[in-house]
Amino acid sequence: MLYSTRSKLVASFLGISLLVGAASLFIGVRLFDEHVFGEALNRVRQDLNAANEMYVTRVKHVKTSLSITTLGLAFISSVRDKNTTDLALRLERMAKLVDLDFAGVVAEDGSVLCRIGPDAFPRPGRRVENPLAKPVLEQRVAISGTAILSSEFLIEENHELAERARILLASGPDAATGAREEITSGMAIAAAVPVFDGNLLLGVLYGGLLLNRSETFVDTVRETVFQGESFHGRSIGTATIFLNDVRIATNVLTPEGKRALGTRVSPEVRDHVLDKGKLWTDRAFVFSDWFITAYSPIETISGGRAGMLYVGVLEEKYSDMRRQLLTVYILLTLAVMLAAAGLGYFIARRITSPIQRLIQASQQVREGSLNPELGPPANSEIGVLQKAFGEMVEAMGRRRAASELRVIQSEKQASVGRLAAGVAHEINNPLTGVLTYTHMLLRRKDIAPEIRSDLQIIVEATERVRKIVKGLLDFSRQTKLDPEPTDINRLIGAAISLIENQALVKGVAINFNPGENLPQVTIDRSQIQSVIINITINSLDATEPGGHIRIFTAASLSGNGAAQEGIEITFADTGCGIPSENLNKLFDPFFTTKGVGQGTGLGLSVSLGIVQRHGGHIRVQSEVGKGSRFFIWLPIERRAEHESVGG
Amino acid sequence: MRVLVVDDEPIVLQSCRRVLEAEGWEMISASSVAEALSILESITPELLLVDVKMPVHDGMYLMRKVRGKRPGIPIIVMSGYATSETIKEAEGLGAAIFLPKPFTPDELADTLRSVAKSTSQD
Repeated sequence: MLYSTRSKLVASFLGISLLVGAASLFIGVRLFDEHVFGEALNRVRQDLNAANEMYVTRVKHVKTSLSITTLGLAFISSVRDKNTTDLALRLERMAKLVDLDFAGVVAEDGSVLCRIGPDAFPRPGRRVENPLAKPVLEQRVAISGTAILSSEFLIEENHELAERARILLASGPDAATGAREEITSGMAIAAAVPVFDGNLLLGVLYGGLLLNRSETFVDTVRETVFQGESFHGRSIGTATIFLNDVRIATNVLTPEGKRALGTRVSPEVRDHVLDKGKLWTDRAFVFSDWFITAYSPIETISGGRAGMLYVGVLEEKYSDMRRQLLTVYILLTLAVMLAAAGLGYFIARRITSPIQRLIQASQQVREGSLNPELGPPANSEIGVLQKAFGEMVEAMGRRRAASELRVIQSEKQASVGRLAAGVAHEINNPLTGVLTYTHMLLRRKDIAPEIRSDLQIIVEATERVRKIVKGLLDFSRQTKLDPEPTDINRLIGAAISLIENQALVKGVAINFNPGENLPQVTIDRSQIQSVIINITINSLDATEPGGHIRIFTAASLSGNGAAQEGIEITFADTGCGIPSENLNKLFDPFFTTKGVGQGTGLGLSVSLGIVQRHGGHIRVQSEVGKGSRFFIWLPIERRAEHESVGG
Repeated sequence: MRVLVVDDEPIVLQSCRRVLEAEGWEMISASSVAEALSILESITPELLLVDVKMPVHDGMYLMRKVRGKRPGIPIIVMSGYATSETIKEAEGLGAAIFLPKPFTPDELADTLRSVAKSTSQD
């Protein structure tokens, strides 16, 4: 029981701290997810905007460079004069400056005058339609933006570019099983500007940069937007340009550390961004890692959606933060639990150690000690328990002392009783003989008077012996009680009437004041009556003529330990009193102060035995020369424990 | 009147004989229960005076035997150690009266007379 209290307390402390820990963990993670991830998504959206802005700026840059070039008078005259050597020089310079992959001048009839690259001056006749120049020749206005360049055009323009544009489709984890095995067309940031001589359209200057396999743009985005932020050695930010749903320029890496070119976006994103033209921001599994991503569609100059721009932040940074948060929460919870367990144990110890003491104390009491160690008094309910326990043990001590006294009395009585019974039985037989023969002798008429008086003395002496033996027998006769509900006042009245004559002769008054409304007591009438008679006769013997004996009854609680309802009979005489040295011996068998032949010394002893067997007790107060008071207390209800004393 | 007195104490038997013969009654004595039972085979006394405490068989045993065989004979029980239990037991077995020892000749004679009288009246 003791340990279970302790463990219960510890367990409840643990339970509470576990509950609080789990709740704070749950709330903490929820808050983290809502705020930090939400914030991360916002950030990625902004990053995408920045990337888009960079893309648009790049387009403008190309267009502006071409426009400025077409304004140069020398350039105009070279176009007009078809001075291809000069034009080639100028184109080379411009392309180098603006970082163009391709550039060229188309005459107003659509033929290529000059371009950069290995085939700078194509022979007339071999013409692949220039998708950039054509609308400008027709519309006479400049265009710029994203262009999709066919493989034929690229081969015609520069076979190296066509080679660069070719990207083999990989079958990555997210890749749909497409029919196309490779990409051959190119995606480019391009512009085309009309070349005028006054109002006369001389031709078109076009140029652009191929995005396929281009590292410049995506890496610039990464450097600019994410500023080289890295996590565990890996760049946290990534950027990608898609041609349709295929990565053609990216710094997302494969597990082997290569750029993940030729891989596809998930069908979900493709559907959302390419087909519906919407923005996508969410966490996504990109190639081999989770990213917090944003995708936006890229539209071509002619208006169709041809690809996507993507930026993404490695989610691992956040999930690592989340993991760290979780770890901190769990460690914190564990620490709190540990502290709670310790605290619980400590508190339980504080509570249970006085209880433990009490248990030890009760063990000591069980083993017979009436002075058990209760330990320092506790200042809680336990303290009350300790006090109550101490009082209980004290009361037990008092009662044990009382019962020990009773046991001693009973044992004394029993041993004397056994002896008396044996002696009486043996003596009574010869006594019968003595009585018979002396009486028979006395019946004779022929005996001398002195012999008669001698015989008379024998008879008297024998009668004395008979009385003593009878007293011994009465003493030893601890017969079973035959209790019945009795009106104690009537019983006392009857007993007094038996002695009244004797008192009258002696000149001692007996006054009986019966208490009113006394409950009935369950007693053995004849035995209690003999007690009353015995004590009254004792008082009578002790009281000189002219004195008086007062007897009265009252309801009274038992004096020793437990308050039990009962009645008390008081016998007060104006006799000689009892010296204090005799008070202790008063109830001992054979103790008497009466003259030889006047008492056996058994009366009070027998009386005490009877009263005790009723569960009552006798007290005495006495003052030499003034008188004595005997108090007999009898319980109203009898308890079985008192009955079987002696035998 | 014929009285059978049963007691293991010779002095009690002698005393009783002395008193009863003085009263002019016939007394048959038995010093054990066995002897009393054998006497009762042939003789029918008007009264039985029996001691309680005797060796081998006690007075109660004798009373039980007599009650079975001779229910008509009144029995007086005597004892030097009379507890209320003994008296109750004796009365339960049909004892007419209980006579505590020691007794004077008058007490014995009066007891016998009163029992004999009440029996003859019945």
